[in-house]
Order: sequence, then structure tokens, then C-alpha cells
Amino acid sequence: MPLSRREFVAWTGASGIALGLSRLALAEEPEFIARETLPGPLGLNPGIVGKGRIDGVAKVTGAKLYVSDFRAKDLPGWPADTSHALLVRSPDASHIYEGLDLDRLTADARPSAVVAAEDLVRAGTRVPAFYSGDLLCPAGSTPLYLGQPVALLIFATFDAYDRARVQFRDGSLIRFGAETGPLTRPNYGAWRFTRIAGATPDSPDVYAPIQEGWISPGFSDGGGRPIWRPLPVAEGGQYAKGATYGEEIRKELAANNPELLVVAGDFETQSIDPMFLEPECGLAWYDGGNRSLELILGVQSPYEAAEAVEYLLGEAAAEVKPDRINAQFAYVGGGFGGKDHTPFPLYVALAGLFFPDRPVRLAHDRYQQFQGGIKRHAFKMKTQIGVDRASGKIVAFAADHVLDGGGLANYSPSVAVVGATAALGIYDAPKVDVTTVALHSRAVTAGSMRGYGTLQTMTALEVLIDEAAMALPLDPIEFRRRNLLKTGGKSMTGTPFTVSVRTPELLDKLEQHAIWRDRVVEKSRVTAGTLVGTGVACVIKDYGTGADCSLGRIEVAADGSISVWADAVEMGNGIGTAIANRVALQLGGVGHTVAVAQIGMFDELGLVTSGDPYTMTQEAQDEAAKNPRWVPAISSATSASIGAHVGTQAVAQAAGIVFRFGLWPAALELWGIPKGDPRVYLWEEAYWQGDELIMSGLPPLPLSKVAAKAHEQKGVTGAMGHAFSRWAWSQASFPIGGFDWEIDLDALAVRYGGGPFQSLDRTSVAFPPTDYNRIGTAFVSGCGTAVRVEIEAATGAVRVAKAYSVVECGQALSTELVSGQAQGGFAMAVGQTLHEDLPLYEDGPGNGQWNLGDYVIPRASDLPIHDLEIEVLPPISPKEGPKGIAEVVMIPAVPALLNAIHDATGHRFNRLPVTPDMIRGVLS
Amino acid sequence: MTSLSLTINGNPVGPIEVRDELSMNDFLREILNMTGTKFGCGAAQCLSCAVIVDNPDGSSHTNPTCVVPAVNFNGKAIRTVEGHAKDGVLTPLQRAFIEHFAFQCGYCTAGFLNEGQVLLERLASAPIPREALEKTILEALDGHLCRCTGYVRYHDAVRDVILADPGRYLT
Repeated sequence: MPLSRREFVAWTGASGIALGLSRLALAEEPEFIARETLPGPLGLNPGIVGKGRIDGVAKVTGAKLYVSDFRAKDLPGWPADTSHALLVRSPDASHIYEGLDLDRLTADARPSAVVAAEDLVRAGTRVPAFYSGDLLCPAGSTPLYLGQPVALLIFATFDAYDRARVQFRDGSLIRFGAETGPLTRPNYGAWRFTRIAGATPDSPDVYAPIQEGWISPGFSDGGGRPIWRPLPVAEGGQYAKGATYGEEIRKELAANNPELLVVAGDFETQSIDPMFLEPECGLAWYDGGNRSLELILGVQSPYEAAEAVEYLLGEAAAEVKPDRINAQFAYVGGGFGGKDHTPFPLYVALAGLFFPDRPVRLAHDRYQQFQGGIKRHAFKMKTQIGVDRASGKIVAFAADHVLDGGGLANYSPSVAVVGATAALGIYDAPKVDVTTVALHSRAVTAGSMRGYGTLQTMTALEVLIDEAAMALPLDPIEFRRRNLLKTGGKSMTGTPFTVSVRTPELLDKLEQHAIWRDRVVEKSRVTAGTLVGTGVACVIKDYGTGADCSLGRIEVAADGSISVWADAVEMGNGIGTAIANRVALQLGGVGHTVAVAQIGMFDELGLVTSGDPYTMTQEAQDEAAKNPRWVPAISSATSASIGAHVGTQAVAQAAGIVFRFGLWPAALELWGIPKGDPRVYLWEEAYWQGDELIMSGLPPLPLSKVAAKAHEQKGVTGAMGHAFSRWAWSQASFPIGGFDWEIDLDALAVRYGGGPFQSLDRTSVAFPPTDYNRIGTAFVSGCGTAVRVEIEAATGAVRVAKAYSVVECGQALSTELVSGQAQGGFAMAVGQTLHEDLPLYEDGPGNGQWNLGDYVIPRASDLPIHDLEIEVLPPISPKEGPKGIAEVVMIPAVPALLNAIHDATGHRFNRLPVTPDMIRGVLS
Repeated sequence: MTSLSLTINGNPVGPIEVRDELSMNDFLREILNMTGTKFGCGAAQCLSCAVIVDNPDGSSHTNPTCVVPAVNFNGKAIRTVEGHAKDGVLTPLQRAFIEHFAFQCGYCTAGFLNEGQVLLERLASAPIPREALEKTILEALDGHLCRCTGYVRYHDAVRDVILADPGRYLT
């Protein structure tokens, strides 16, 4: 099927810079978008036969796919030669940066252009608020954090770049002066989540964040830490009121009540690196003649990256301000959150602008990726659980979290909130008080990484839950079962989850599994020198961010072939394949070609936005919604496990429109069903078997025949839509086929026959209320893990012998993709628990000396690859939608491993990773 | 500068003048634009950069390219991910990787494919007993890092290719 070759501009921002995606001039090289559209018009599509991913062939043949694969000569219309940029980062954040010793570079390693902080000032660039902080540390200042960029060097030739890269590695070409100590900055955010339930499950809460608003303390001490006790003056709403309730809970836990078992524990989690295999990379070409900045990027958040670059240059001096920015996005070689809202694209753009008319490639090597890439937050936590000894029920819960956010805020506020609001895991407690603060430090910036916040706080919780169960004593699974948050029960913010909560089934599965069932027998089979232990843990995890968008476009050709475009990014999660499969549910055929990471294929929708979807008032939303093109946000990152739920939503809804108003009328005519026949309205009873449309009592119709008829009838053969979720989908009605048709989209355009797309004005719209922003989360999926370890007493080495994870994900769009995520998540959990560790400061990755020789991620031999069982629960009903699971599958394995190590050694480790030295220490 | 000539995927390449410290990985990716071979760590730890070296005696082994100068490959014959499929027909191992959903992001796939192919060829010339199979695969592939998958399906894919033709690979 031919690709769309229209040139278009997605939008023009307030900066006056036109921002979008355009086709590039035709040349002998395939267009970039053609390479990124898989499996390609003539390619083998394993997805069609359900035997593989749509990107399967490209990935086993070494096709150019990832951003790091592209050079200027691969891009039609670009100059042939590629120049190379080196982002020099500071290994020091406690001395004054004085400049670079470029004279000490060998003569054949000298840069052709040097960009320093003062050049950015002269150019009038701006830093987007999300990345607030100097993009380049000015000479004369102390770097804000380890790994902060100090200069961008650009080399006309690869050889010069390559030599300079190596010469810069030890940091000795960067000059530092007087010691100042690290810079201090205010904390990135502090909140207190307190809930006092009503007297009965049905009565309203006495106090809850959903009712009262989220609260933050008004005062911090000199170190940036909040003062949590209620003071007379506070910011962020009724702090004193909430804090007073919170302090009462603390007093109750400290009261020495003999009827109350109080278990308390400190827990520390470490900083780790996402360690995606493809280091960050990008290409830029500033075509000075046309004043056009072309970008090729590989990020999880394409729309945000394009907007950030537009903001960067929006008020730049005339000589460097482009008239247009044309950003295109490639497949991503691993992300895990680390390529979501990364500042890297800003530096790619600057490299292009400061070396005009020559394409420039900026690529991290692995040392640089460790030095500058986003990390997982290190947490320090104190947790207290109060349990009524008689009933074994949790009556009070309190926790205090301190996050090291590193040098830039990035996602730190969100990580703090997500971690805090998940701190009670799968449990219900009538009294909850959790404080959290994300601190600035000189560490490498921490941001989004798989399971952020929740991995840390639920690990601390699930270990302490085991401790409480043993202290009561109660069987660990029975104790969990007694305290489960029931479906319809309220989360810590006072909100019920709006999706199924299937933790009882997960616990049943864990309890029945041989790993758990045989734990005592296995432990008794200890051979000399080996300790055996079994552990279990169970979690639920939010998916979504509370402002999630999906853009999707689908076209059915007259021959029945289906083309799909979506804004979701393929980073290995299988989103392209999931989209293709979700289309098949509606249209019989999987998407024959799928292009992901597309943010410029939806201009007919004419979307506009304003305000911040997280903070806007209801009045502002109501006013803005009067514009039929307005939506709360246009596109969001592929992150927060939203692939299945959000990433496929717009395409699925659009496919539904094509079926209802294109294929179904065509089928009726082919079947000879006249108007007025009651069967006209039974489209929901029709279903696809393979590529044949089945309706009881009528002959099956092949998709190709139905599609041809739909084209002949000038029915709807293509649709594109926008979806928005704030813990519920936006819903709108559109005039189509004589109906006022309501769907879970807030913008829709359709095409009839082979005609052009036409936007439809919505006749009504219901955006989720803005006070849903207080919910925290309404969507959760669940996962439980049981694991057996064998520990060699002499060395302390832990062998993960067997593991079982049970996942509930609603409707699995591809069980292979779901279980594959679970396998990978388990491996990452083993790394987090046993292997991976980054010192935060001078000895850590910010010093530029780290690589995989020092940083150990699990190999196959570290994992039970033949004894890792994954069970995916079927949906509770055929109508249950897909849920996001890519994060939840990692989390329970960490505390399950810790509980197993405790079972084996009798010792509870309270910091990660648990190394052989630590184990040997307690065993001796 | 040194003159470099070698055979890649059966095709003669060179002579090309390259500087002595240019890595083989950069030679493939920057000079030849053969980017199927990936760059992962630059320290020979992840082996996403590994290629197959065909020895004169008919045996083969994999070699990292990120830390090895290109000139070290002078006169050698190598195979890369781009050379496995012939005339658009995938090899059994390529098909197995796809059908097993062996990879996710796919960035490490070229290295696993090369290592798996070398193993298949080694077993074809020196079959092993069935009971040694999983351990043999583990030893062969264990140098390769993957961050997405947990390795399970890479190993299953290699095993299933072997089990599908036991007369060739097993004693």
C-alpha cells in the first residue's frame, strides 16, 4: 500500500516556528518514514499469521531502523556527509568549572566548532521548564550536577571526533578551579497523603486527598527537607488539617498498645541505569537557506521532544532561529523510561544549529550514557505498619520517603507522588499517612524508569508485610489475603479503582504453585553448604499518567489491506504488533503496515490545546472545550505502561468507526439485507474469523470483498482520531451516517471511499473532570511472584533457582508480548535486587568512567531461564479492555527475592542490592 | 593508515586506507554504512557488536568489533547480520527468532543471531548429546547481554532449531 506522501505542517506554535513532519525529497534512498513503516509494503508480516512481531523481519536482517543507524547519506535530500558532535560533561560538581583545555587535544582531534554556555546566551535559547537548569554550565560556575554538559564540540570528520572522544574520556581536559562544595537547590516537591476512612466501608472518609486536595508543607529546613509537623502557616491547601490527622496516626503507632503489633523498618534502594542497549543518539541538519531544522530522533516522547526543541529556539536570535522544525522519530533500541523526557534532543538540535548546513550526529558512547543518561531514583524509606493482633488486620500505616532526584527536576515530583500513593500496595488500611520529598543533589539526574516510585516503595512494603506476618504469626499469604483492598475499596487518595482488582486470584495462584507449596520440603533438602529459601510478593501497579493521549489513523484499501499510523513509540514493547492485533479485533485483518512514533499524520484533526491538563481548572476546561478542535493535550510519551491501554485506543476506536460506517453497510449490501430489516442494527453480533466476517445464518464474507464494496459505496474507509484519558476516556459525539455517534474519542476525521479525510465537528464532548487530577490513579494491573533461591554459604552467591509470576492484564492483545514483558521484567528485577548499583556522587557514573565492566546487569546464567514460569490470567470478561503491565511485572520479583533470601538466611536485608559480600557477612 | 581488505558476507571489500586505531565497529558503521552490526558498550561486554569470523579451516567464531581495530580483520572473512538471509529467504534461526518473539527492542539481535548461527554450524560438524543441549546453548550465548527479554526466548529459539533437525545437530 502506498504511503501518504503529502507534505504537511502539524502546527505552528507561539514562537512562530512551524513544527511538524514533512516528507523529504524523493531520492534513491527510501524515505525515512518508509524505513520506519513495518513490515513494509512487500515485506513478510509475521503478525498476519500470529507468528511474530511486525518488526520481526527488519530486526533479524539488520535493517536500518534505530536512530543510531542513520547517517546523512541515508536521508534523501540531506547533504551526503555527516559531522559529529561530542557533548562534554563535567565529572566534578564541587569545583568551579573554568573551561576546556582544547590546546591539549592532538592536532588531528580539534573541533571545528565549540559551543559553550555564553554561545547559548548570545543565541537567545531558552530552557524548557521541565529541564530547568543551564543546558551548558557557564565557565566560572560550579556544575549543578555530576555529568552536567559544559560544552558541545562539533567535528567535521568522524576521525577527529573519534580521537577527541577518547582524549576527553578521563576528564583531564576539563579545567576546574576553587572548591565550592556542591550547589544546593530547593527540593523538587514534597507531599503528604493522609487518609482517615469512615466508620464503615460505605461511609465517607473523614479525611482524604480526593476530598481535601493534595497538601504540601510550607516550610523546609536549611537542607531542603520539609518540616512535616503542622505549622500555623502552610502552602498547598489545608496542610495543617491533614498533618494533624497524620500526626494522630503516628501517635497511635507509637502508643505501645499491647493489642497492636507495630512493625517498622528502614529500607534503601539504589540508583540504577536503565541500560537500554542503544545509547542515546540523534541527527540534526540546519538548512540555513531554507531556515529549516531537520531532526531525526529516537525517544519515547516524540511530541514532547519536538515541542521542547521549539521552545528552546522560540525566541532565539534571528540568525539561528529556524522558520520550521521538522522532527522525525525512529524505532527505539530500548527505553525503560530512560528515553522519556530526556534533554538529549535539545543538544541534538543545538549541534545542528551551531554547525549550519552540515548534518551533525550526536551520539553517546556507553561511558557518556552512564554519565549523562537518566537514572532510577535512590529512595530512603521508613515504614510502619500497625496490625490488630486479634484480627490480623492492618489498622494504621505510615511511611516517610526521601528521594535523591539528582541535578535536574525531570520527573522527580511525579516519582515522589507515584511512590507515595502506591506505598500501601495491595492492602487496605483505614488510617494512612505518607510523606514524601524529592531532593535536589549533585547526582546524575534521576527521572523516569520502569516502575518508578512504586518499585521502591512496594519493595519496602512487601518485605515488611512478610515481617509482620511472621511476627503475628500468620502465613504470609493468609496475612496478605486478610488485608487486601477489595474491588471498589478506596486507595490512599480516597478513590476506588475503576478497573478489576484481582489480587485474591493472584494470591490463590501463588499459594497453589509448587514453588510455594513445596517450600518447606525444599528447604529441608539443603545440601551441605547451600541454603534454600522461598519468597513471595504481590503488587498492583498503576498504569497511565492521568493525562494520556492516543493518536491513531487507519485506512482500509479497496483490496482489504490495512494501514495504520499511531503516535505510540516502539521501544521493544511490541506496540506496533499490539496495534495491529487490536485492529484485527475490529476489522478481521491485522494492520498490514504500521507506522509508529508518528506525530504528524493527524493534521486533518486540526487539534489545538491550551493549559496544563494536570492543573487546569474545571472552568478553564469547560471554556476551552467550546472549541471543537480543543483537547486537553495532544500527544503523550510511550511510558507508564500505557502501550496496550492507551497506545492502541485511538486506532481501535477509529477501526470501530470504519467497521460500523464502512464495512458493515458494505456487508449488508453483499448479504442483500435491505434497509428496515432488523438485522441492519445487529453489527455487534457480527465477528471476524480470520479475515472473514461471520454473521449467523449468512455466508461468510472475506475482508477484501467487503472492503471493495465499502469503497464502491463511498462508505467510511478511513478514520483518524484522538483519545484523552484522565483516569477515564474523553467521550464525544460526532455526526456520522445519520447518527449522533458517541465514542471514546474527542476528535475524529473520516474519509469516504478513496476521498480525502474530513474532520467532523463534535456535537457534544465530556472530558474527564479536572478534579480527577487528585485521584492519583484509577487504573491498576496486578502481578504476583514466587521465587526459590539457593545460596552458597561459602561465597554468599545467590542462585535464582525457580520463579513463577502470575499477571492479570485484562485482555492480552498478544500473550507472547505480555509474557515476554514478564520475563524481561523478572530479569531486570534480579539485576535490581542482586547486581546493579550506581554510587550517587563522585564515584558514580557522573565521573564518566563507568561502563558495563563495572556495572553488572544479569546474564542468562544469572536467571532461571528454563524454570521461569509466566501465567497470564484470562480477562474477567470478553469485554474487558487491555491493561498496562510492562512495569508491574518487574516489581514483585524484587521483594519476593528478598523474602526468599530471608527465608534462606534468617536475615532481612534492608538495602539494595544484596551482594554476596553482604550475605557472607551475615552468615559468618 | 593501513590498507584494509577483507571479505564481508562473501563480498570482497577494499583495499581501503583506514587509520590504525579505527575500530572494526566504526569501520562497518561509519565507513561501510553497514549498521546492522550494533554499537552497545565499546568495551566488549555486551557483544551486540559481534560478527562472525570464518576461519580458513572451515570453522567460525564470533568476535566483538567495538574494541578491535579494523586492521585486525585484514584478510579475514566475516559475516554480519545483513548476510544471513539469501535472496530474501530467512535462515531457520532468523525465522525461529521471529516465531519465538525472541527479541523485543531488537538492538542485541544481531549479536545473538551471529552467536547462535556459529553454534549451529559448530554442532553440525560436532554433534552433542541431547542432554548437553541447554547447557551448551547457555555457554554459547551467555556473553551476550539483552535488557528486554530475560533471554528465555532467544535460548528457546536456538534450542528449537536444533531439535527440529536432531540428526544434524545431536548425537
